[in-house]
Amino acid sequence: MSIEITQVGKKFGDFTALENINLTIPDGEITALLGPSGSGKTTLLRIIAGLETPDTGTISLFGEDSTWKQTKDRKVGFVFQHYALFKHMSVFENVAFGLRIRPRRLRPDKAEIRRKVFSLLSLVQLESMANRLPGELSGGQKQRVALARALAIEPKVLLLDEPFGALDAKVRQELRRWLRFLHDEIHITSVFVTHDQEEALEVSDNIVILNKGKIEQIGAPEDVYDHPANPFVYGFLGNVNLFHARLDKGVLNLNHAEGGAEVSFFVRPQDVVISLSNENGKGVEAKITGHRILGSRVRVNLKTIAGEKEIEADIDKKQWALIEKENRETIYILFFGAKIYSKDETWSDYAI
Amino acid sequence: MGVKKRRTKLPGFGLTLGLSITYMSLLIFIPLSALILYAAHLSFTDFWELIINERVLAAFKISFLSTFWAAAFNFIFGLIIAWILSRYSFFGKKIIDALIDLPFAIPTAVAGIALSYIFSPNGILGSFLQKFGIEIAYSKGGILIALIFIGLPFVVRTAQPVIAELDKELEEAAASLGANFYQIFFKVIFPSIFPALLTGFALAFARGLGEYGSIIFISSNMPYESEIVPLLIVKKLLQFDYRGASAIGVTMLVCAFILLFFINILQGYAKRRRKN
Repeated sequence: MSIEITQVGKKFGDFTALENINLTIPDGEITALLGPSGSGKTTLLRIIAGLETPDTGTISLFGEDSTWKQTKDRKVGFVFQHYALFKHMSVFENVAFGLRIRPRRLRPDKAEIRRKVFSLLSLVQLESMANRLPGELSGGQKQRVALARALAIEPKVLLLDEPFGALDAKVRQELRRWLRFLHDEIHITSVFVTHDQEEALEVSDNIVILNKGKIEQIGAPEDVYDHPANPFVYGFLGNVNLFHARLDKGVLNLNHAEGGAEVSFFVRPQDVVISLSNENGKGVEAKITGHRILGSRVRVNLKTIAGEKEIEADIDKKQWALIEKENRETIYILFFGAKIYSKDETWSDYAI
Repeated sequence: MGVKKRRTKLPGFGLTLGLSITYMSLLIFIPLSALILYAAHLSFTDFWELIINERVLAAFKISFLSTFWAAAFNFIFGLIIAWILSRYSFFGKKIIDALIDLPFAIPTAVAGIALSYIFSPNGILGSFLQKFGIEIAYSKGGILIALIFIGLPFVVRTAQPVIAELDKELEEAAASLGANFYQIFFKVIFPSIFPALLTGFALAFARGLGEYGSIIFISSNMPYESEIVPLLIVKKLLQFDYRGASAIGVTMLVCAFILLFFINILQGYAKRRRKN
């Protein structure tokens, strides 16, 4: 296994950034460190790179204890959110930097450096920009230069700190598809930090979900999405309807009446089904309070008759057209794949 | 005329330009023009002969060379001081920070007397240096010491804010690419602060050229050996040789202007390259 993180902890003054982190990062895959801001994901990445030292625990890179190794000796490629390109150097010089500063006996000759830089620039599709200065490039191009620069030293791991965070939505989408494609070509062990769950689901082979300095869940994207370990993970990986209710012999009781255990009820908007009839008797009667068309999907706001719970449904546009045509006073909603967590477990509500 | 008037979105250009020109005229252009006009009473050959006088040329050489070396010295040590002041926190940092500006504040004569006292053969440093045969006070070395003292704040104060604002990620990026401290410093940090250092150098150089008060106390003021241009001008004035003084003054002015102009161009180039 390529990176072994054992019992790592880190504090900044009174703030605990990381607490007892144990993590193994598999070889040749992309691992996403996903979490809200302040969850410690960037700190963990910086500790792997040696830009930060842990207070406790050890980091081992490729079977070698590297906890106290300096960044320059770790052979890690690091890509920053704000590119961190050397402004006074051309694109070519930026990419060549890591090769040119090597001690003479390890340094490739000029022709070799040139060949290598151009092969990397062709990999990131920026050959024609070799003589430009970073200031003359767009954000997406800058980040590709930063990536080529990091790859030039043939790192054993590639670490990316919110690599698409500073880019606009369209470029971000393009670039993350391209990163996935690039990885399928060169298979370098990569770790990237993100707060965007969609990005993590789309790009990575593994997701590590962090919250308040602790790991909440580790798994493949479909694993963590379909089988979230706890309410935090569930809430973080997508929109969610959350309300409190009572569970009476397996039947949901929305009125806060007596009887049954109090539970929290989680359901994703796309798992809420709107039905005009109540054939199996399991539907919950509700009113439509509003809707918003989001391209091909429609977000419908509902309010249950019993208990007046606000619920959001995400349905198909065609289905919405049918419902709208009928124009009923009340409709019925059914929940598929909802999750219930009982009150005795301790966790906090997650706001959408 | 082919020049089109360009409307600018920012208001106040006319007003501020007018005020600047009035201010500059009153303080700089008019007094300097008066000097040049006065020197213009001399015929060209008279002017030329006054300037290529051996003693005058020697004074020019001493003034420009010692000012250049003092500014160069400050370029390096000013950078080091600015570096520790903006990068590290340590005991007494506030005091050192406040001390930097002292050369601005104290009368130059006081500085000259104090420096010549400690660097004289009986002084604390002077007696020590004399053992190695180094004579500072009452020699050319004294001029250098006084100029270094006067010019230090310029380099420190121009470099300090630039160093403080350096992007830490650039250094981290360089480190991740395998660079050691010296490589990071010379290939990444130095190019970023070079324009500011050059400004500090130019300011220290300009200030040093005109320095008079401290130098006359610490230098031996020997013609051909340790006589600076401002002193020569004062001597000429004391002998009522106003034309000679103005000729030297004008030459000094032109030389200084050319040098500063050149430094400005160099700095503009360095800045452009960094910004692009």
